[in-house]
Amino acid sequence: MSKLSTERVLQVHHWNDNLFSFRTTRDPGLRFCNGQFVMLGLEVEGKPLIRAYSVASPNYEEHLEFFSIKVPDGPLTSRLQHLKSGDPIIVSKKPTGSLILDDLLPGKHLYLLATGTGLAPFISVIQDPETYERFDKVILIHGVRYVSELAYADFITQTLPENEFFGQQVREKLIYYPTVTREPFRNQGRLTDLIRSGKLFSDIGLPPADAATDRFMICGSPAMLADSSQLLDQLGFTVSAHIGAPGDYVIERAFVDQ
Amino acid sequence: MTFVVTDNCIQCKYTDCVEVCPVDCFYEGPNMLVIHPDECIDCALCEPECPAAAIVPGDDLNETNAHFLELNAELAQIWPNISERKPALEDAAFWDGRKDKLEQLER
Repeated sequence: MSKLSTERVLQVHHWNDNLFSFRTTRDPGLRFCNGQFVMLGLEVEGKPLIRAYSVASPNYEEHLEFFSIKVPDGPLTSRLQHLKSGDPIIVSKKPTGSLILDDLLPGKHLYLLATGTGLAPFISVIQDPETYERFDKVILIHGVRYVSELAYADFITQTLPENEFFGQQVREKLIYYPTVTREPFRNQGRLTDLIRSGKLFSDIGLPPADAATDRFMICGSPAMLADSSQLLDQLGFTVSAHIGAPGDYVIERAFVDQ
Repeated sequence: MTFVVTDNCIQCKYTDCVEVCPVDCFYEGPNMLVIHPDECIDCALCEPECPAAAIVPGDDLNETNAHFLELNAELAQIWPNISERKPALEDAAFWDGRKDKLEQLER
């Protein structure tokens, strides 16, 4: 088992009845790449109960931020949802993961495809100035069931464009495309359907997916990853073979679904 | 479900997998690594890292390699944990891809 440190919860924000985010202190020795995940959890009956969580905060912040669902009978999330400021929380010291810029070949457009809490690593990636240096456009697509699940929408559309260091690049390059499947909203439907039909591209005013210019990072459920990978493969994209081997797209499982 | 180290790790032991494991669930014997099935979180990062393609998802085991699930579980109890990458065994390139290496396994 990897080495663990005990951090403290700094603040908790509940988005709705089943989603919340929280910030913790950060071990000064913890280094990570934006997009990576750590193991996180609580001590239960004297033993660590931990799950993989993407870091949602960028690696230059002094705190760590995480985005989680709440499941009433989930072993960890049923406990995590009661977190409050000052509580101890376990964070592993070995970040890892495949959603990193270095594993993408150079390109013009970076598409960040997320469903549900799969958004978390991309909240980190869109706060990395390097993201905007490498790509002309950065398109964040977040698929959810209900409008209330569009966490971070205000942060993306209002806070980030005002960032004093890279707000201008955000205003010029970041396109946010939220989509909802189970109730009316301005964008509706599944991510893969929106790509396949071309609706996504006509809505945002960019050309259809092209392996010569476009790069994808994908984070969601196993089914969403399988569908997205299959679609991109059909379109001639090549997945990064492993960490350290750049490709046209990278994928990561969104781990905690209970 | 867990990932499982199978036959082709024996006599190679590249350890690329160790570098990416978020939970350090690899255990090291003299000439093979194994995964502790109760510690593996099924993140899938190690599988493509292995130069010898020796790591497979437990769900993908077949009748020719299903016994490695039990072998991983057994040896993970005995062998020491490994959390950092190290050089592969000297003759790794020679042994990579050779069939039926289980008889070479040193415990």
